[in-house]
Amino acid sequence: MSGGMTFQDMMIRLSQYWASRGCVIALPFDLEVGAGTMCPETFFRVLGAAPWRVAYVQPSRRPADGRYGENPNRLVKHTQLQVILKPPPDDVQDLYLDSLESIGINLREHDVRFEEDNWESPTLGAWGVGWQVMLDGLEITQFTYFQQCGGIDLDPVSVELTYGLERIAAFLQNVNNVFDVQWNELTRYGELRLKEELEISVYDFEAADPDFCRQEFDLCEKEALRLLSVWKREKRLVGQERKEAAKERAGREPAANGSGPSSPPWADPKRFPLQKVFELCLKCSHLFNILDARGAISVTERAGLIGRVRRLACRVAEIDVQRKARAMEAQPA
Amino acid sequence: MTAKHTTSLLLEIGCEEIPARFLEAAQRDLGDCIAKALAQARLMGESSVAQTYSTPRRLVVHVPSILLKQPARTEEVTGPPVKAAFDSLGNPTRAAESFAAKYGKQVADLRRVTRPKGEYLSLEVSEEGRDTLQVLVEVLPSAIGQLTFPKSMYWTSKSGVRFVRPIRWILALMGEGASAQVIPFEFAGLKSGNETRGHRILGPGGVPVDGFARYAQTLRERGVEFDPQWRRKLLRLFIDASLRTEGTGKTADLARKVFYPAGSLADYIARAEGLQKEMETLPKPVDLTIVTDAELETWHVNSTETPRALVGHFNERFLRLPREVLVTVMRDHQKYFAVEDGEGHLRPCFVAVLNTRTEDESLIKRGHERVLAARFTDAEFFWQADQRVSLRDRAPMLARVIYQEKLGTYADKVNRTLLLCREIFQQLPASLGITSAKKHAALEAIQLCKCDLTTQMVQEFTELQGIVGGLYAQAQGQSAEVAEAIYDHYKPGNMEDSCPRSVVGCLVALSDKLDTVVAGFWAGLDPTGSSDQFGLRRAGNGVVKIAAERLPGLHLDGLAHRHLSTGVGAEPNSPIERRVKDFLQERVEYYLREVVKLRYDTTRAVVNSSLGWSDPSDAVLRGKALESLIDSADYRALSLAAKRTRNILMKSAADEEAGMNHLAPELMKEAEEQSLYDAFTSIQKRLVELEARSDYEAAFRELGGMRQPIDGFFDQVLVMAEQPEVRANRLALLSAINTQVFSRLADLSEVAADDGGAEKAGASENRRGG
Repeated sequence: MSGGMTFQDMMIRLSQYWASRGCVIALPFDLEVGAGTMCPETFFRVLGAAPWRVAYVQPSRRPADGRYGENPNRLVKHTQLQVILKPPPDDVQDLYLDSLESIGINLREHDVRFEEDNWESPTLGAWGVGWQVMLDGLEITQFTYFQQCGGIDLDPVSVELTYGLERIAAFLQNVNNVFDVQWNELTRYGELRLKEELEISVYDFEAADPDFCRQEFDLCEKEALRLLSVWKREKRLVGQERKEAAKERAGREPAANGSGPSSPPWADPKRFPLQKVFELCLKCSHLFNILDARGAISVTERAGLIGRVRRLACRVAEIDVQRKARAMEAQPA
Repeated sequence: MTAKHTTSLLLEIGCEEIPARFLEAAQRDLGDCIAKALAQARLMGESSVAQTYSTPRRLVVHVPSILLKQPARTEEVTGPPVKAAFDSLGNPTRAAESFAAKYGKQVADLRRVTRPKGEYLSLEVSEEGRDTLQVLVEVLPSAIGQLTFPKSMYWTSKSGVRFVRPIRWILALMGEGASAQVIPFEFAGLKSGNETRGHRILGPGGVPVDGFARYAQTLRERGVEFDPQWRRKLLRLFIDASLRTEGTGKTADLARKVFYPAGSLADYIARAEGLQKEMETLPKPVDLTIVTDAELETWHVNSTETPRALVGHFNERFLRLPREVLVTVMRDHQKYFAVEDGEGHLRPCFVAVLNTRTEDESLIKRGHERVLAARFTDAEFFWQADQRVSLRDRAPMLARVIYQEKLGTYADKVNRTLLLCREIFQQLPASLGITSAKKHAALEAIQLCKCDLTTQMVQEFTELQGIVGGLYAQAQGQSAEVAEAIYDHYKPGNMEDSCPRSVVGCLVALSDKLDTVVAGFWAGLDPTGSSDQFGLRRAGNGVVKIAAERLPGLHLDGLAHRHLSTGVGAEPNSPIERRVKDFLQERVEYYLREVVKLRYDTTRAVVNSSLGWSDPSDAVLRGKALESLIDSADYRALSLAAKRTRNILMKSAADEEAGMNHLAPELMKEAEEQSLYDAFTSIQKRLVELEARSDYEAAFRELGGMRQPIDGFFDQVLVMAEQPEVRANRLALLSAINTQVFSRLADLSEVAADDGGAEKAGASENRRGG
């Protein structure tokens, strides 16, 4: 090992740093995601007015970036450290730079630049304005003032910091190949992950059955839409029709108009499994990425599939915002 | 204006890093907003100028001289009309009274003024000049609020200010030195103050200043060169220094000598100049220069506060990758300058620009080298992976790549382009000597030229489309002719760019671009005003440039006509054809004016002639020939005669006499009429011969022979004679002269008839000859 912090120490130090700045240290999300932004701790929490600070490590999968473990710098599954600061403090850039010092980067010996890079996730209906932070020419962090998520304008805005941990570790340890990074003093990154990189790449680029992926995409979307359709019916009842519905329920049998069974108990807004709708949406997103890496998507189809995932994400965001608004109304009473 | 009547203004808006591409405009716009607001507030004196500066973290306006007190002003305010101001008894109405009351006056104080619509009450209101400080407090925040950006953001809540990036401090000072005071206002939730901030690392924290002099010195001491012009000088100096001292270990020594400590501006400049001189005396260890790149240089000027440069190295094995790929990776992805030797060969090194200074740059250098090695390794991976499927085997994949919704896939585009290219073969003059082998190569290149869109290399480096295809074609054993044509087929990228190198490349590029234009218009993608999303203007310019310079004898309107029906399947005589042809004519005019540098009137004369614009190379020859003679007295006179001829013909057009009758020489009674006819027939005969040889200079000289006979004719002969058959015969003569002589090669009536008229757009249309 050539000096510099181990990969695990880096995760620990950064977590400690952000914990000491009031962040909840959350668990990594247990689904395949393309980025830390897709985790509920970001997606749901940046919506609405409640302040929030969180940091978590998130393994993130990007099938198209797979290189069978042969490329010293590209990974199909890389590790992000995701930080959300809502609302952003005035000295947010300084806070960020201090975090670099906390993992042993002496800023006086390096060149740190904030280069324009406006992040966008078309599948999540999310975008922001900001920079890629460059350390001696290496992109180490995406620094974003989140403007919209799930198609909804954010108010207040959140700052999202996404550190690319492998790159930073290789940099700190002065190794040219990410697989040579020391995970701890005894174990190298490659020992833990090389086989996995190869196998995921083989599946994504060669072995994946596009028809299966397409069917799974359709099924996940169908299930999500089924859940959403129930919320839709419930929501209609909220307004003017609420009284009539109550009368109906009290007086006679539910209206026998052939529109299907009455609402299930989980249609209750407080119990509605919105989280699961979101998870299904994330599954679609990942399946789309595999199909894309596989080269199985034409340009027109591509736009269509992205649109389908985005519609789910936007619907989820919309419902989440409605629920939060309702909860706010309920509070004073 | 004496000094005590003026003061100065310094405004600095401190931001988080403003994107380099917006910085120049932001600096200029803020200066304009402030200058305009100060002028409106009557604070700009005669000699007042707003000087502007910027770095990624600040926008700065310094007005060295503004008025210390706003001058008083009087203003005439118009009230209600007199008719409404007094009743029938002459007593003031409510309207009159409330107008007076509004300004604290009596109706008796009001005057009467006459306006175009009648008599009105009016009042002179005088306004005291206010203190400049008070005015600035109001004016500055509203001026800053008027700034707009191509992309702006919120950074706290939606109710907050939008700006290009978050604003973190505002420095607003009036006056210099002991008399300096803060102009107190609030903007974007910040209170203005007297503090600036230095470089993030080299001079962090707020520092109070008391005017521009101190401001400039403070920033330079704290690692910020706030003047972009100076940053550009420093950048060039450091790039030069880093290359000259490369391998000698002297860079740091030299730099230390000059830039520690910063000191005053005068010192700084003197030291910088000293360094330059010292460098020039240094022996050059190797002959290295950066690959010049003005855009990249400007980007660095606008993304640094304290530019420095260092030379890094990469493994020689990467030089096996094509230069184009290496330069693109260095320039577009890492913002490095590529380095070449005296013979223009790339060297395995690069120049990186830093925004900081350290005693030991080796750590930073190692970082850049590692990143670049990784990028090159990636490019190597793409290169090898892409080679597994040849361009030919990629052709079927184009059926899955959409070109445009209405126009189908790239496979469809390739098929249309092949058809068009075959049309061109039909038309090509034999004189170009294009062999059937070359024609075959062109068709082959068209089939392969879009295949690189399916490669990973182009998906990663889109700016290399075409180039990558050409390189792959070469690597895959295609003939040099085919590979080169693919490589070049996006050329010319603009009017300054060169055409494809080979004639095969020109055929491919012209076919591809003309299809883009014709099919684009068919799909309704016409460019409008400043918007041209599909790039039709650029494609049209390329078509004209290639036709004019490399494929003489091609007739664009005929090709467009054929391609509309056979290529894209438009209805015959559809209105689209008119639009396409008007568009191509516009592009030819643009080319004649902007590239050939013909005068406005010459250009109009050439494109409006019978031979027209359709063969751009021929239009160029005619335009140049005409322009060599156009300033002679003969031509000015001829132009007048041509205008007069046209006017007469236009007036008589209603009679439908002109040109309908055959010329009857026996009806020509007057001597001048007869000699005009003789001159016409002999000159016209010569013109036909000269035109066939494209000897346009001789033709235009020949045409000069018309001057005396036509002038004589107009002097002595009445065109509108009493006898209908004589009149008709004279009109027929003029009509023949007009079509076969005056407007055959160039429409002489378009030529400006006096000196200097040529420069004015539309001048020839506004003047009447004869």
